[in-house]
Amino acid sequence: MNLKESIKISITALKANKTRSALTMLGIVIGIGAVILMMSLGKGAENLIVGQIQSLGSTSIYIEPGSFDSKGGTGFMESALEEMTIKTLTLKDVEAIRKDSLVDMVYPMVYGVGRAVYQSEDEKVTFLGITPEAYVMDDWHATIGRDISDEEVKGMARVATLGYKIAQDLFGNEDPISKTIRIKKTNFKVIGVMEERGMEMFQNYDEYVYVPVTTAQKLLLGIDHVNAITVQAVNEDVVPQLMENIRLILREAHNIYNPEGDLSKDDFKVMSQVEASDMMTQITGILTAFLSSIAAIALIVGGIGIMNIMLVSVTERTREIGLRKAVGARNKDILNQFLIESMTMTFFGGIIGFIDGILFSLLTSIVLSQVLNTSWSFVVPFGAVVLALGVAAIVGLAFGIYPAKKAAKLNPIEALRHE
Amino acid sequence: MLEIKNLKKEYKDDLVVTTALNGVSFLISEGDFVAIMGPSGSGKSTLMHIMGFLDRPSSGIYKFEGQKMDDLTDDELAYIRNEKMGFVFQFFNLLPRTSVFNNVGLPLTYTKISKHEREQRIKKAIDSVGLSHRIKHMPNQLSGGEQQRVAIARAIVNHPSVIFADEPTGNLDSKSGQQIMEILQNLNDDGHTIILVTHEQYTSEMAKRIIQLKDGKVINDTVVDHRRFAKDGLVK
Repeated sequence: MNLKESIKISITALKANKTRSALTMLGIVIGIGAVILMMSLGKGAENLIVGQIQSLGSTSIYIEPGSFDSKGGTGFMESALEEMTIKTLTLKDVEAIRKDSLVDMVYPMVYGVGRAVYQSEDEKVTFLGITPEAYVMDDWHATIGRDISDEEVKGMARVATLGYKIAQDLFGNEDPISKTIRIKKTNFKVIGVMEERGMEMFQNYDEYVYVPVTTAQKLLLGIDHVNAITVQAVNEDVVPQLMENIRLILREAHNIYNPEGDLSKDDFKVMSQVEASDMMTQITGILTAFLSSIAAIALIVGGIGIMNIMLVSVTERTREIGLRKAVGARNKDILNQFLIESMTMTFFGGIIGFIDGILFSLLTSIVLSQVLNTSWSFVVPFGAVVLALGVAAIVGLAFGIYPAKKAAKLNPIEALRHE
Repeated sequence: MLEIKNLKKEYKDDLVVTTALNGVSFLISEGDFVAIMGPSGSGKSTLMHIMGFLDRPSSGIYKFEGQKMDDLTDDELAYIRNEKMGFVFQFFNLLPRTSVFNNVGLPLTYTKISKHEREQRIKKAIDSVGLSHRIKHMPNQLSGGEQQRVAIARAIVNHPSVIFADEPTGNLDSKSGQQIMEILQNLNDDGHTIILVTHEQYTSEMAKRIIQLKDGKVINDTVVDHRRFAKDGLVK
């Protein structure tokens, strides 16, 4: 019997119990659909995050306080906490780094939270202490009014530029320029409103208030350290050299004796944009794998459904099996017939599940980009088609083999006698 | 062409051993029409299953066209069943929701015969049982007699040398039964060896030879003197 005929026969058999076949297939549809959805969303998140990191340019280098764990690998949460509490990086470091000839630009950053008050409006905000280089490096500027200037940083001026959304929340239709807002009991003059930017790296830049870094340190936070330093190299090729230079500069500035270059001895971390995007790829990859394996449980449940219904089918068609054997079917022929039947079911379930998964992830990506105001991209991960159909066929095979073997082993006489 | 020597078949069920065949021997030559008779439990169905390669004996020798059954693997038995044997059952055993055409073609799906050749054979077989006008019908649209004729067409589609018929008229009214027997007699005239299991004296007299079984043994093996012919119609 050839494959085409076998598939025809199995489709006829499946059509004989339409509702039952459809419900059994639904298990596979949901399983495959869920896996595809998770894979697609995971890939979408990865593209979004990595894309954002990469959009900052491959010449970027990030410096954070704290050390690389000597055991290797930094916990994401731990490093975020370290950034907040460790005081090793200062503005002096920024100036020391700036002197290196490979540096194009460098800017420090501090951040904190507080309430911003304008007349009767009162909003909880995150404020970022920055220098004018931040605007240049991100190529992001005030569209109303102007950016913070170098003089204002040096003079610890009480000026602020507002994110697009926070400006709307505080001022509504009113022109915010030259108005005074109060953050943590300090009055700030609004000098600009930033261009609308949206969500990036889980941060909504439109909800932040930007003030000179010195002002944020002294007047708002009462600290001398900075939370992070971003450096831009003169070109891509010198990035590794510059990273090493920065390490040497900071070791000297921090009095760290570390001739072997053991990163765990340092009190700072230097990371290139490439490393950062690699790290995020890794994190989203793990997350995707984790979510996909949870979704795969649905697939296994679907497979059990297939096995269950195939066992019922074998029992129901005992006479047919006996007859087929009597007219010359070998055990192998019967085995194949039932395997093809279960695989046909999972194969079509896989196709439908794949389409559903894609549609759902398209829908989710549209919703996500609307809600989060990001450029969330809809991605069909490479290999998803192969995976969906391959896994579906494997599920059909794995859960179909036991019922099929049972059918093949039936004694033809017993099968023919079966009422 | 069929040689049976001291054939025994026992069924073991936990502690109880049931003997279905207890030393059966006979020869059947090509072109014969043999009725195997006996009360229920006499072992006639068991004997037919063994002769039709659907079951293996516990001991004794069974040769089919010179080949000893013991020497053949299950797959080889399946191949011989497919090539040289045809089966007709009491309850027709047609596949539901499958057309007459496809039911008759079932044995050919396990061969390598070309599609064109298959169609020819199927049509010829259906024609020979007089059901050409029913070719696209489903089994549940046919009468019992017609269903059994489909089963016969299925049995002859692979041009077998032997046809095994297990109580083929047992589930039919006498007129339909008569038609079935007429077809079997015609097939025998065309050279097919026919082995018929029945418990009806009347039906058995349409064969050329009657083997009577009782308690797993042959008690009588006779040539039919006054053979009945189904085409002569029902005898009141």
